[in-house]
Amino acid sequence: MIIYPGPLILGFLLGFVLGTRIKENPQSKLKFDASVYVVFLIVALIVAYFLGPLPYYVDAPLASGFVACAVGIIFGKLLFGRNLTPSQIKE
Amino acid sequence: MSTILKIFVFPAAMVIMCLGVLTILGGHITPGGGFQGGSMIAAGFIFCLIVYGLKESPFHLSHDFLAAIESIGALGFVLLGVAGLIFSGFYLYNLGVDLYGIIPTFLKNIFDYPDPIHAGIIPYLNFVVGLKVMVGLSAVVITFLGFREFEENQEEAQE
Repeated sequence: MIIYPGPLILGFLLGFVLGTRIKENPQSKLKFDASVYVVFLIVALIVAYFLGPLPYYVDAPLASGFVACAVGIIFGKLLFGRNLTPSQIKE
Repeated sequence: MSTILKIFVFPAAMVIMCLGVLTILGGHITPGGGFQGGSMIAAGFIFCLIVYGLKESPFHLSHDFLAAIESIGALGFVLLGVAGLIFSGFYLYNLGVDLYGIIPTFLKNIFDYPDPIHAGIIPYLNFVVGLKVMVGLSAVVITFLGFREFEENQEEAQE
């Protein structure tokens, strides 16, 4: 199986940057727990499968950049996506 | 906004953002590119901002973050262009493809984009343009929402 690192790395990087921005407001009534991210990952895999690989790509039967971005979002959220502090909320 | 929207919009926004990233990544072989993909990612942010509001949005874009990503996008584009100018004499010369055969092979390998097309610096340019457009469009909506809140607060204070 051929692996093309280009879309995987760039997709993961962009997803990671987006994931680090997920910072929930603790004063809000809205709570997004782990189930939201599990549902998102499952939906992302289904969408990637139906999108198919980009033209000329023969690496996998799904859009590898799309999956890399979804994984990057979750990694970014887990590593840096902490809840907002009171000072950040004031800003 | 209704509860259904509040439950649905956050995961949907993440899927929209992934589609935007895919549009950026396929910019050199399919319709799309940095601007279109960046707009789609910004649309995901804006979707959340409109439904949840500026304070409760799960995506928090601080001023520092917007400034940093905007600068990285602009600098990345300029630096890729200047690299072409330095090594080949042409601004924005595609060092990863080297159509004129004027640069050393190791430089060509460094700027090569590892996929079946080997499009050189084009995907990297799409990437940095995507970053810049993403924060640019998001900043406009954040500013409008911020002004609106400011006006509302001022009216309340006057009353």
